[in-house]
Amino acid sequence: MSIQFKSILELRAMLDTKAISAEELTKETLQLASKLEALNCFVTMNKEASIKKAIEIDQNAAKNSVLSGIPLGQKDLFCTEGLRTTCSSKILSNFIPPYSATAVSNLEAAGSITIGKTNMDEFAMGSSNETSFFGNVHNPWKKGYVPGGSSGGSAASVAAGIIPAATGTDTGGSIRQPAAHCGITGIKPTYGRVSRWGMIAFASSLDQAGPLARTAEDCAILLNIMSGHDPKDTTSLDVESHDLTQSLNKSLKGLKFGIVKEFNLGDLDTEVQKRFEDSKVLYESLGVEFVEVSLPNISASVPTYYSIAPAECSSNLSRFDGIKFGHRTEQPKDLADLYIKSRSEGFGDEVKRRILIGTYALSAGYYDAYYKKAQQVRRLIKNDFENAFNSVDLIMTPTSPNTAFGFGSKGSQNPVELYLEDLFTISANLAGLPAISIPHGTVSSLPVGLQLIGNFLREDQILNAGHIFQQHSEFHLMKPNMEDFG
Amino acid sequence: MDQEIVRTICYLARLEIDADKAQKIEQDLETIIELIGGLSSIDTDNIEPLYSPLEKTAFKHEDILNSDNQKEKFLQNAPNSNNDYFLVPRVVE
Amino acid sequence: MTWETVIGLEAHVQLSTKTKLFSRASTTFGQSPNTNVNLIDCGLPGVLPSVNKEAFYKAIRFGMAVGSQINQTSVFDRKNYFYPDLPKGYQITQMDLPIVLGGTIDIELEDGTNKTINITRAHLEEDAGKSIHDEFEGYSAIDLNRAGTPLLEIVSEPELSNAKEAVAYMKALHQLVTFLDVSDGNMSQGSLRCDANVSIRKIGDPILGTRTEIKNINSFRFIEKAINFEIKRQIKQLEKGESVTQETRLYDSIKDETRPMRSKEFANDYRYFPEPDLLPVVISDKEMQDIRDNFPELPKDKELRFASEFGLTSYDSKILASSKAMADFFESSAQELKNYSLLANWLIGEISAFLNKDNVEIHESKLTPLNLAMLINRIDDQTISGKIAKSIFEEMYSSGKTPDEIIDDQGLQQISDDGEIEKIINSVIKGNPTQVEGYKNGKDKLFGFFVGQVMKETQGKANPQVVNELLKKKLS
Repeated sequence: MSIQFKSILELRAMLDTKAISAEELTKETLQLASKLEALNCFVTMNKEASIKKAIEIDQNAAKNSVLSGIPLGQKDLFCTEGLRTTCSSKILSNFIPPYSATAVSNLEAAGSITIGKTNMDEFAMGSSNETSFFGNVHNPWKKGYVPGGSSGGSAASVAAGIIPAATGTDTGGSIRQPAAHCGITGIKPTYGRVSRWGMIAFASSLDQAGPLARTAEDCAILLNIMSGHDPKDTTSLDVESHDLTQSLNKSLKGLKFGIVKEFNLGDLDTEVQKRFEDSKVLYESLGVEFVEVSLPNISASVPTYYSIAPAECSSNLSRFDGIKFGHRTEQPKDLADLYIKSRSEGFGDEVKRRILIGTYALSAGYYDAYYKKAQQVRRLIKNDFENAFNSVDLIMTPTSPNTAFGFGSKGSQNPVELYLEDLFTISANLAGLPAISIPHGTVSSLPVGLQLIGNFLREDQILNAGHIFQQHSEFHLMKPNMEDFG
Repeated sequence: MDQEIVRTICYLARLEIDADKAQKIEQDLETIIELIGGLSSIDTDNIEPLYSPLEKTAFKHEDILNSDNQKEKFLQNAPNSNNDYFLVPRVVE
Repeated sequence: MTWETVIGLEAHVQLSTKTKLFSRASTTFGQSPNTNVNLIDCGLPGVLPSVNKEAFYKAIRFGMAVGSQINQTSVFDRKNYFYPDLPKGYQITQMDLPIVLGGTIDIELEDGTNKTINITRAHLEEDAGKSIHDEFEGYSAIDLNRAGTPLLEIVSEPELSNAKEAVAYMKALHQLVTFLDVSDGNMSQGSLRCDANVSIRKIGDPILGTRTEIKNINSFRFIEKAINFEIKRQIKQLEKGESVTQETRLYDSIKDETRPMRSKEFANDYRYFPEPDLLPVVISDKEMQDIRDNFPELPKDKELRFASEFGLTSYDSKILASSKAMADFFESSAQELKNYSLLANWLIGEISAFLNKDNVEIHESKLTPLNLAMLINRIDDQTISGKIAKSIFEEMYSSGKTPDEIIDDQGLQQISDDGEIEKIINSVIKGNPTQVEGYKNGKDKLFGFFVGQVMKETQGKANPQVVNELLKKKLS
């Protein structure tokens, strides 16, 4: 029986019935990954250690729990002890962390097997995975098309059926948008739900880790394990954790979903609109009531984000200076030369662009007008959501205004063009809210995603709404035809 | 956004821009700054900035030692080090 | 033309916590390079800071002692600049909402009068690592042991008028932070150091002159010398009709001069912004009350208590209570004995003289409170004479041995046995008939001669009282 395109629960059943051993599953997964190498999903494979762990799991099969022996990919921005972690950047191309991220440790302690580190936009800065030092990732649905970003390798490897799930991080849509472009499910939890310890920071007040998987149910399983209070991260929430799988299969009858007035969905591609209307009809048939909500400041979310995220990134990326780790230029003349050359050689153009923007936004004379102003608008946006959630249970939007696009076709002339792709996803990061993207059909044979934004800490509601949708549709079962990739 | 400002922020960020890309980057920065500048039309009088989506307070840890010597691991990752120190080109103060 | 000097000090006090401000690595001084460093101190990708409770409590204790406003909600900010011993490329410090605001410190001037200096603010921040520039050919070497050590930066108003006042201010600060157990105050290890902002203006001019900042001065003596040099330099500059450049300068103690720092790292735009990895730190009312309830005794209160509890003179009390190390030593020694005034005499006299000569504080010497108490008790119970005690003390001071060990080793017990002393007196009388004759003929002064002879025979160990009594009897 093939292991390709199987969900976590399907693989669990195969392992539990001994249809396959953990060792066989791991080896087949590694073979599949190498067969589909042309997708360029992985930056580093973890072959020997994976097989070794799988054998141990087979030997202790009596102790198995839900993730035991399940192969996973980790976005290459999570530190993994002893396993190269690059953030898809030249500056970290030889970095071997002496410790692991909490999210990864939690998943590994639950028995999952890290088979490799997935490709991404450099330092998670991008929406198309085109800024990776290790090259573009192809969308499994169409060669030469982007998988979305920044968690592009994670999304593509799951969509290609190599692994059932992978971790991602989401600063402005980096889990949801690639999930949408690749036809899979991905959730960005509430800010603070998953520890950021060991996650290489892009924008500290926006970054949040979450899973990408084939189903909402698998996302619930993974999020249960990834999340939890971590004293090493003071922004990690100390809240009682409930088993999210227990909240699945609840009736949606009587729930109110908000449609955002200001998003002017009428301006979107008619096919994208049509998928959205179809999903609305499906939810209505399940007893959901749709209500228009207003988020008056939502149009400011893109400029707000592009002030805050670069500002935080400009400071977060200062530690990459060629002194304690990472790339150092050959034979620096002096210290100043060492800094400038190491950093200029080590970072790609988009990263440099954002560092410069952020440096500018924080510099004397501009701080109030750009950085502080953006943080004030951020509060207005958060207030808008609070008001909206007084009248609805969750908010429904498309995940992305468009489907995946061809390599190099967007943003090369004007970076802002690409930034506007994030319009629907960014606000959840600014407000710290949980949001999920589920596949809900295709446009011109490319997947499109539906986004459900939940209230603070209400992952249970959006996961359930996603799960119920998947109980009544088959979009999540669609598979790309991958003849082009070998 | 003039060349002087670009030079200053490049210096602050310890980055240099290839000459052939300088104009493009300058133009990109200009476009992005214009995008952000759009925020000025929003009234934010008396609005407290929201620096973190969590309006909570930090957890404080006890003053109890919990750390082991990992010198070798750290120095191994360094581009240049000897047995004890990270090394950089000599600095004159 | 007459000039006046305006000085403001930024003192950096290293807080005496066991672990660092944002990590739980040790702050112990003098360890092998880069061994007191964990993932956080090394600034590795993906690490996050968390806040040390005790550092806050110590900062608050300082604030309470100087009558400050304590900000129960305080916020950390990032100060961005590149330097090799700054692992993250930014320092975590407090800018807009420091833990301590305002307050005053009284300093004692040379003429005995007091002057009150206002504190602007005091904030918590992490120290950087150490750069060693002259040990390896062509390289600077970076040791991150100190990186992340908690500092309280105490900023004074520019209210100090000369170098002596600056020193008096730093001495007052030293006394305060050591009494509060906020810092060990060890200046040679960098636990207390300061940056001095110095400017000159014509007397009566309402506008401050251009200031220079002398960085990182770490002894009282250097503070005085560096500031005096800088004052002279600035006056010379102004009298030549030239202006003073606002800049950062280093004090070179060997050449006894200040010179501009060459590294441009300090001419920077620091781009402060709230540290997004740390939420605001809140100190609860209960925590504040706990700090108040466990407040350490300050010098004035200690002085009064020493007088009443131990019956010391007000002079002795004041001297002992002026140094935390001395006061603590006195109190632990005092637990082991009864003769408090003898103990005080020793500490203020003999012992202080030795410590001053070696320029160390008592807790850094080999003396222990228990050993000193033992010595005082041996004097008190007449096992040894005061004179012998001094030689025992010298041995204690240099070797760290206990007085009893020294007494045993060298056979220094006082001889009080009548029979033994009588034997020696007899032989002295026998050996000096001429002097006996003379004494008996009224030369009373010769009595001292006999005492001296007996002491000589016993190497000073004979109990002088017994010798006196027996001699009088024998010679009459």
